[in-house]
Amino acid sequence: MPLKSLQSSFLKGTFYLSGNEASAEGAIAAGCRFYAGYPITPSSELMERMAFRLREVGGVFIQMEDEIASICAVIGASWAGAKAMTATSGPGFSLMQEAIGYAAFTETPCVIVDVQRAGPCTGQATRVGSGDMMQVKWGSHGDYQIIAFSPWSSQEMYDFTIKAFNLSEKYRVPAFVMADEAVGHLRETVRIPEKIEIWNRKKQKGIPPFGTEEADGVPPMPSFGEGERLLVTGSTHDALGYRKTDDPEVHSKLVQRINLKILNHRKEIVETEEYFLEDAEVAILSYGFTARSSLYAVKGLRKEGRRVGMMRLKTIWPFPDEKVSELGKKVRKILVPEMNLGQVAGEVKKYVTCEVISFNQTNGEIIRPEKIKEELRKIL
Amino acid sequence: MTQTQQIRVSGFGGQGVVLAGLLLGQAGAIDGKYVSGSNSYGAQARGSGCKSEIVLSESPVDFPHLIGVDILIAMSQGAYDLYHGEVREDSGLILYDQDLVVPKESLKVKQIGIPATHLAIKRLKNKQVANIVFLGALIEMTRIVSPKALQKAISMHVTERFRPLNLKAFKLGIDVGREIHG
Repeated sequence: MPLKSLQSSFLKGTFYLSGNEASAEGAIAAGCRFYAGYPITPSSELMERMAFRLREVGGVFIQMEDEIASICAVIGASWAGAKAMTATSGPGFSLMQEAIGYAAFTETPCVIVDVQRAGPCTGQATRVGSGDMMQVKWGSHGDYQIIAFSPWSSQEMYDFTIKAFNLSEKYRVPAFVMADEAVGHLRETVRIPEKIEIWNRKKQKGIPPFGTEEADGVPPMPSFGEGERLLVTGSTHDALGYRKTDDPEVHSKLVQRINLKILNHRKEIVETEEYFLEDAEVAILSYGFTARSSLYAVKGLRKEGRRVGMMRLKTIWPFPDEKVSELGKKVRKILVPEMNLGQVAGEVKKYVTCEVISFNQTNGEIIRPEKIKEELRKIL
Repeated sequence: MTQTQQIRVSGFGGQGVVLAGLLLGQAGAIDGKYVSGSNSYGAQARGSGCKSEIVLSESPVDFPHLIGVDILIAMSQGAYDLYHGEVREDSGLILYDQDLVVPKESLKVKQIGIPATHLAIKRLKNKQVANIVFLGALIEMTRIVSPKALQKAISMHVTERFRPLNLKAFKLGIDVGREIHG
């Protein structure tokens, strides 16, 4: 499809966009001016649109030799002061994991969109899956936190990409939009408001860039070229960035802080949505495209007078533990439908005492509402 | 639930199935509707059976793929054979290419043959715009989106070089629709 010149850095009004295109527009609106990537199905349209839009708004776009180089370029661009992003799918996401750990440990703001396909490995390139929900949290070694969203529409691909940039800048952490093929390729009405809220990383001259007084603080972030003395290393480092690879206290403090700066702010980060839970006996806990099927199924059963409700996770990481725990006290059973073998269901089980039923489908197709309805009938 | 229309455009990859769906969805968005669209992807969209699905609604769309089919456009026999059974009985509508599809007579669905490919070749010397002839006929008969919005959609998504041809095909489709309808 030919791309027409859009001429404005920030679109306003109503558009008909695929999820991938909407995410690119969200990135441009959020102030992203650097993209490095390697095309991969089903995320390529995002890269294609960024190539076009970054040229229009005076940003930088590079097609790299692979995904490892892509994420490394993104991290470098972020330290040079740019809001930077990349997008990929499972195989590329696997390649990026080492550098994602580097970004987390060096507290580098960056945004990664993973348009998930049916894995493992090369799997079914054009087919849907959501098998990277755990990898996004645990893919790199060591203890670290990230922020990850799960969009269910083109609108949320736009909104969550902006949120990912905002929170990434605020907390100096890699932030992820965990889309799936069905959402990336879904084309929907996207309404873009007149004004959007944009957050930028804090800057303060002469303040150490890798340590704070508070145990869960976020230090200001200088860029190369601003005149600050700046060392960035993936080895354990003190507040000034000097390598401290033998000091137990420095290591413990740093690892604690990069975790606590996210975990202690869960309430500000985490978002969930509830449907018909007031009197529900059984609930669906759902996310991503599958939540569209779930909502349809729940509404259908409600019409039959069945007491079923739904909680949707908009944020997957940090995990909405309190909300899920409350849900577990309210209902008898929770059904978790997923396009993987129960990745998020396992997490749910950590926080509830009621019965959790995992409903899985890994055939490269979306879970249709009829199937979810059928599963719900079995447990109602 | 307010009124929702579920439309499937189907045929061979290369017949403009994906573009027809894109234009229909874009026109719906221009008309201020909530629209969800999806289509065949990858190798399917290039040669074999191909489909494009649109949900048009006055309220937010819960499930964005099709649950049933209100309107089916079948541009090939294969597509017709595969999808005619899913069209809603009584209220449903099938538009098929008159010269490429032999319809089943026993269906309890309104079926209308459109000489889309024939007219595209005869009147516009280009069979590639049969998809747009279908859209013209469909919109004239059903008004699921406004003709103005579809013209705007064509100007947004079709390159300048082929825009006049596509607009002519749309007008031709509207004339066909008018003849059949009234």
